Amino acid sequence: MLSSIFEPSSIAVIGASNNELKWGGMIIKNILSGYRGAVYPVNPKEKEVQGLVSYPSVLDIPYDVELAITAIPAQLILQAVENCGKKGVKGLVVLTAGFSETGKSGAKLEKQLVSLVRKYGMRMIGPNTLGIVNEPFNLNASVIGKLPRPGHISFITQSGTLGLAIADWTIDMGLGLCKIISTGNKADTDDVDLIKYLDNDPSTGVIAMYIEGINRGKLFLETARRIQKPIIVIKTGRSKRGQKAVFSHTGSIAGSDEIYSAAFKQAGILRVDTIDEVFDAALAFTCQPLPRGNNVAILSNGGGASIVAADECERQGLNIVDLTQETRDKIKAVIPEYASSSNPVDTAGTVSFKIYTESIKALLRDPNVDALIVIYVHTQLSNAIPPAEAVVEIKLKCDKPVIACWMGGAGTEQGVDILKSGCLPNYSVPERAVKALAALVKHRDFLNTAKTDDPMPENPEA
Amino acid sequence: MSLILTEHETKKLLAKYGIAVTKESIAENSEEAFAIASQIGTPVAMKISSPDISHKSDLGGVELNVVASDAKATYEAILSRIKKAAPDARIEGILVQQMAPSGHEMIVGLKKDAQFGYALMFGLGGIFVEVYKDVSFRVVPIGMKEAMDMISQIKGYPILKGIRGRKPADINAIATVLVSVSEMAQKENIIELDINPLIAGEDGAIAVDARAMIER
Repeated sequence: MLSSIFEPSSIAVIGASNNELKWGGMIIKNILSGYRGAVYPVNPKEKEVQGLVSYPSVLDIPYDVELAITAIPAQLILQAVENCGKKGVKGLVVLTAGFSETGKSGAKLEKQLVSLVRKYGMRMIGPNTLGIVNEPFNLNASVIGKLPRPGHISFITQSGTLGLAIADWTIDMGLGLCKIISTGNKADTDDVDLIKYLDNDPSTGVIAMYIEGINRGKLFLETARRIQKPIIVIKTGRSKRGQKAVFSHTGSIAGSDEIYSAAFKQAGILRVDTIDEVFDAALAFTCQPLPRGNNVAILSNGGGASIVAADECERQGLNIVDLTQETRDKIKAVIPEYASSSNPVDTAGTVSFKIYTESIKALLRDPNVDALIVIYVHTQLSNAIPPAEAVVEIKLKCDKPVIACWMGGAGTEQGVDILKSGCLPNYSVPERAVKALAALVKHRDFLNTAKTDDPMPENPEA
Repeated sequence: MSLILTEHETKKLLAKYGIAVTKESIAENSEEAFAIASQIGTPVAMKISSPDISHKSDLGGVELNVVASDAKATYEAILSRIKKAAPDARIEGILVQQMAPSGHEMIVGLKKDAQFGYALMFGLGGIFVEVYKDVSFRVVPIGMKEAMDMISQIKGYPILKGIRGRKPADINAIATVLVSVSEMAQKENIIELDINPLIAGEDGAIAVDARAMIER
C-alpha cells in the first residue's frame, strides 16, 4: 500500500548520519523537522544520530517499522532491503543511486532489488529518488531543505533536481503543494500507481507531472481517463524525431512526441510546454471553479494589456464574447464617456473601487460570459489596492472563474496580497493569465469528451 | 519477424475489414494482363508486383492510363525495365488495376508504438503530408466520433468540405475507414501501414495504393 510510504506511523532511516551535508544526515534532519511519528536511525558505526538512538540494522529496532528510507551505497542495498522484508517493513524510499540509470550491471541490480521488494510484498519509490514530501502529514522524507506552504497541488517528477528547484520556486510564487514525489527510476511504483493514489487522496486537488518516459503507457492512459482531477503534464523530448523513414510515410512522420500529444489528449491530460504553465494552470485549478464554456470577458484599465490578453485568448481558442446591452449600459454608467464598454472593456486609465466593482458585477451577471479576466496596469496615478478589494469582494459571491492580472510589479504588491488573501492567484502578464484560464476550459472539455466513469482497469505488475 | 506485404496483399487485408479498394488482379503473363484489363474496363493502371520493390515508379514499374489494346505490350515493357533495374527482385507478376477515381487524396496510416500500442494517422495526401505535415494522430482503438474529430482537426479540413468549387469529400466514409484501420491494427499484427492515397469523392472512399509491414 502506498499509504505506508506517504503516511507511515514509523520510519527507519538506513544510512542515517550526523553529518547534515550527507544525504543520510539531511534526510533525517528533514524528517525530524515536522514528522510526528517514531524515527529510527540505522547506522552500525554510530550510537546516536541527531539525538536519537542509532541501530546497527533495521532488524535490531525493537519496534515496528512501517517505512524505511535508504541512503546507503548501492552495493549494500540488497542486504538492507532483505532485512526490511524480514522486519515486516511495508514501504521503501530508496535514495540510493547506481541502478538502471548507470548501465547494464546497474539494471541487473535493480531487477534483483525489485524482486526482493515484491517477495516481501513491500512497495518502493525509486531507486535513485530524492525522496517524497507529504505536507498534510508533515512528512518531509526528501532532501528538499525548505518546503513551500501546504496546498492542494501534488507534483510527480521524474527528475529529482527539478523537484528541488520547483520546491524553492513555489515558495517564491506563494504556491501551496500537497505532495512532492521524486519517482527516480520507477522500478516498482510508477506513474500509474501514483496517479491512482493521488486520485484517492482527499488532500490532492490537482496532479502536476514532469515526465520523461512512461513505463505502462496504455494503462496510464486508461487510468488517467478515469481520473476527474486535473492532470497537468510537462513531457520533455519534443525535439526528438521518430525513427528515420524506414518503411512508411506514417512511420517517418509519427514521432514519439506526436503520439504522446495525441495520447494525452485522448486521456484528458493537459499537456503544457513550460514549467511556468504547469504551475500557472495548477494554481488556477486550486482557486477557481471550472467555466461552463469558453466565452470570456476582459476588464482592464489599459487598452494595450487588454489587447494582448484578447490576442492570447484567440490563440488559446477562447472566445471574446459580445456583451448584452444591459451589461454595457451598466458599465457605461461608471466609466468615462470616452472609455470602451464593449468587450474587452477598457476603463481608459481610470481606476476606482466603484468602477471595478460595478463593471465586474455587470460582467459576471452577463449570461453570455463564462469567465472573466480582470487586469490592472499600475501607473503613478493609480492605486492597486481598491480594484483588488473590488475583485476579491465580488469573487466570494460568484461561481464563475475570475483570473487576475495585476501588472507593474513594484507598486502592485499590496494589491496582489489582497488578491491572494481572496484566493485569487495573480498572473504577472496577460498571456499567463489567459493560458491558465484556457487550462480550466480545456479540462472542462475533457470532462465532457475524454473522461469516463468506468471502473479502474486491472493493474498488472509493471 | 517482420514481413512486407505487396500492394495487392495489403489491399486484400483492407478489404477484409470492409475498406473499399480498387478493382485489381495480378497478371502472370501478357495474355492475362489483356484479359484482366478488358474485364476491369480500360484504361487501367499497371504496376509491378514484387515483395522486393517498394518504390515501384522509381524503377519504371508503373504505367497509368493503359488501354486494353496496349496491355500486352505494356506488360512486356514493364517487365523488361524491372529485370534491368532490379535483376534479383522476386516478381509475382503485374498488378492490373482500375484507374483511381478523381477526388480528394488522403493518407491513412498506422504505426506500432512502444508506449501506447498503436498510433493512427490521418492527413491530406501529396504535398500536404510531405511538406506541411498536416496530419492528426490518435492512439487506437477509436470510434466514429474520434475519427470525425481526427478529420476535422487538420488544417486542410475546409478543403475536404469543398471550397472554391471543389466537390466535398464523403467525410463519413473516410471516418469509417479510420475506424476499420484502427480495428485491424492489433488483429493483424501490423507494424506499419500506409494507405496512400485513400481517395474520397462525394460518395465513398477507396484505397488506391497501400503497403504494410506486419509481424509474423
